[in-house]
Amino acid sequence: MSSASDPLSRTPKAVDAALSIVAAAPVRRKSVLRMLLSDVGACIALALVVLAILGAVFAPWLAPTDPYGNDLANTLKAPGEAGLLGTDGQGRDMITRLLFGLRTTLLMGFASVVFGCVIGGIIGFAAAYYPRLSGVLMRLMDILLSFPAILFGLAIAAIFGPGLLAVIIALAIATVPLMARVVRGSALVVLQQGYIEAARSLGLTDLRIILRYVLPNCLSAMFVFVTLRFGQVILLGAALSFLGLGAQPPTAELGAMAADGRNFLFFAPHVSVLPSLVIFLVVLAFNVLGDALRDALDPKLRK
Amino acid sequence: MMKRYALLLAGAAGAVLAAAPAVAQQKAPLSILRVIDADNYDPIRSTATAAAEVMYMLADTLVTVDFDMKTIKPGLAESWTVSPDGKTYSFKIRKDVKFCDGRPMTIDDVVYSLKRWTDPANKSPVSFRGGPVKDIRAEGDSTLIYELKEPYSDLLFQMALSFASVVDRNTVEKLGQNFGVQGFNGTGPYCWVKWTPRQELVMKKNPYYNWGPPIYKDPKPQIDEIVWKIIPESNTLMAAIQARQADVTYYMPYIALDTMQRIPGMTVQRQENYIYDIFMGFKVDKPVSSDKAIREAVNMAVDKQAIAKAIFFGKGQVLPSLLNPAVLDYDKESAAAMPKHDPAGAAKLLDEAGWKPGADGIREKDGKKATFTVYGIRNDVNPRISEAMQADLRKVGIDLKIQLWDATVAWGKLATQEFDAFYMAYPYVTATEALNLYFASRQVPTPNRMNWKDPKTDELLKAAATATDDKARKEAIGAVQMQLTDANVWVPLVSQPLWVVAGDRVEGVRAHGIYGAGLYKGLDIKLKR
Repeated sequence: MSSASDPLSRTPKAVDAALSIVAAAPVRRKSVLRMLLSDVGACIALALVVLAILGAVFAPWLAPTDPYGNDLANTLKAPGEAGLLGTDGQGRDMITRLLFGLRTTLLMGFASVVFGCVIGGIIGFAAAYYPRLSGVLMRLMDILLSFPAILFGLAIAAIFGPGLLAVIIALAIATVPLMARVVRGSALVVLQQGYIEAARSLGLTDLRIILRYVLPNCLSAMFVFVTLRFGQVILLGAALSFLGLGAQPPTAELGAMAADGRNFLFFAPHVSVLPSLVIFLVVLAFNVLGDALRDALDPKLRK
Repeated sequence: MMKRYALLLAGAAGAVLAAAPAVAQQKAPLSILRVIDADNYDPIRSTATAAAEVMYMLADTLVTVDFDMKTIKPGLAESWTVSPDGKTYSFKIRKDVKFCDGRPMTIDDVVYSLKRWTDPANKSPVSFRGGPVKDIRAEGDSTLIYELKEPYSDLLFQMALSFASVVDRNTVEKLGQNFGVQGFNGTGPYCWVKWTPRQELVMKKNPYYNWGPPIYKDPKPQIDEIVWKIIPESNTLMAAIQARQADVTYYMPYIALDTMQRIPGMTVQRQENYIYDIFMGFKVDKPVSSDKAIREAVNMAVDKQAIAKAIFFGKGQVLPSLLNPAVLDYDKESAAAMPKHDPAGAAKLLDEAGWKPGADGIREKDGKKATFTVYGIRNDVNPRISEAMQADLRKVGIDLKIQLWDATVAWGKLATQEFDAFYMAYPYVTATEALNLYFASRQVPTPNRMNWKDPKTDELLKAAATATDDKARKEAIGAVQMQLTDANVWVPLVSQPLWVVAGDRVEGVRAHGIYGAGLYKGLDIKLKR
């Protein structure tokens, strides 16, 4: 049977529409948002996340000074003494450095989560949809899971040399097996549903079934994972930078900034404390938001 | 239950009280804090300062160096003579010396130790310091003949370094590779008790020792036990000294020195003649750093004064020239020829050399960007020095890429040809030693990481090393300093100062600092309680 003579292939939209009615509604934007906003903690977390993202995106316009120009005559000034939050070991304004540091840290987190989740997602769907691949793929993921992320960072920094790219690669690789597991788990549940069988019997391509019916039904679990993972990745990335494997000078990065200040912890605590505080707040915000999202997206917890 | 705890507590308190008088009779050991340990304590197998600082207390050398870092004084050798051709040194060795195990030291021990140091078969990283040895032999029972193939003007200074320490042959042969790891036997003022790597090294007084060098008031050690403790984290180290949990350190963070000075009973002193210099060296055969204009511009653009002040918290001293002004044969003329801080002049120089600013502010010439990569060890000062230089160089349109490495991989990385420039900090005793070490063409690729191969330099270095009179040596090594200053192969940065901080329990501490060893033989130090 050629594809041209297949009546179904001529009207895929109709099929999709028909099956969509059967499939659970994949997106519940309104109610989820309402659920989120009814939680005070989640509101604060959301506000912090939005603020952090805005600060990072608009850092070049918000920063009062040049992030890379030093002023050795005014190093380690306390908050208020020079600028609102003082200066670091090179005499650079802390507000500027924090904004640019946040920018690097969020970018690092975003890039590694996106890469890790895309690759992990593909592997997860493949493992769920093709049972023959499942064994091999998931054992591979188990092997990856057995390496701590810091060890990956060390190994990759040893190969490529320390830098942001090394950290992003390390964290992406560390994210892949976690995402693959989450996706495979949710996809297996979805694949049991009758509408998937219906789609298969109608002769839809595998890719189409995955993209149109499996993926939307796994999105909520993926979204919760991404939000929670973002917080973890930022913490890990900052840890790797603290160890000197991440951002190289003069790039501002929160973990590296915290490391810079540790030699003067007794004399100019703000150099270490401020970036650590920002890391803490951002990670906390993402975690609270992730938890709230999980609750909001869980049908069992809905009123 | 509560009652039982109370009883236990009372019992414990009683036990402590009962033990207290016994503790009071014996003074607690002198504890010295440092930040890093050595890989071993065999004088010929470790080049680390961490090994040297302990070695000077465990063992003796034939000659010693005075606090001025320039005058050679007797050690195990009472006196010495040099033949007119500068090739034969005869040392008269003391006869009253004993090893820690009580065995008297003989001339054979001295011959054995010096041969062990200089014999190429032992593959010692420091054997070159012994010079072109022809023969080392005993003459009678107290004269040592050190014969060279050609004169070597640095010999006495090199013999004062811990690498030339006299050790006990029996212990060396008994312990093999574990000599200086599991045990040690020397003739120093203190004896090896035990070493827990990366934690502490314990030594006790050598009961026989009364042959301390004349640079000290009392030739005998005054302290029963010394513990060298490793505290890698500088804040913790500072807190330990402040809380009087330890007595002495010369690894105090520079930022804390003023605070320490204000604490009653704490003494903070500086060794003016300390030589431990930090510089940045260029590989002269790399695309960008091969351009002399770039090298000179870097020397002009970097505000070394500000670096010395900010990074060392006012405790560092700018190096006015290739070498430290305190060193033997320092050349004032080449110091005057050193480019001065002048960013505008640097920009002009680059303009004239054809390096024009590009769209991103970084200069370009023939499609090549004015960018170079610097390697270094990630220690407490390099990250800050390199960032300060990076900002200074950006102002004149040069892009410095910084790659600092953990100490465990840094030495391997610094032996490659991957980088264009590097940071180095090093101790030395004479100009001839320092420049022969770094600039002789036979020293490529390490420590001559600059890849500086110049027949004229080689010739002058050899002339200085083999000079038999002071004037000829000074002239030759002065000419090398001038040539290298003119070529801008190095960016001399800061002379790292040595500050010894001692608590109120200690008296008689005097900063020395040979090869980084702040306390040298540790004599004259007393504990008040």
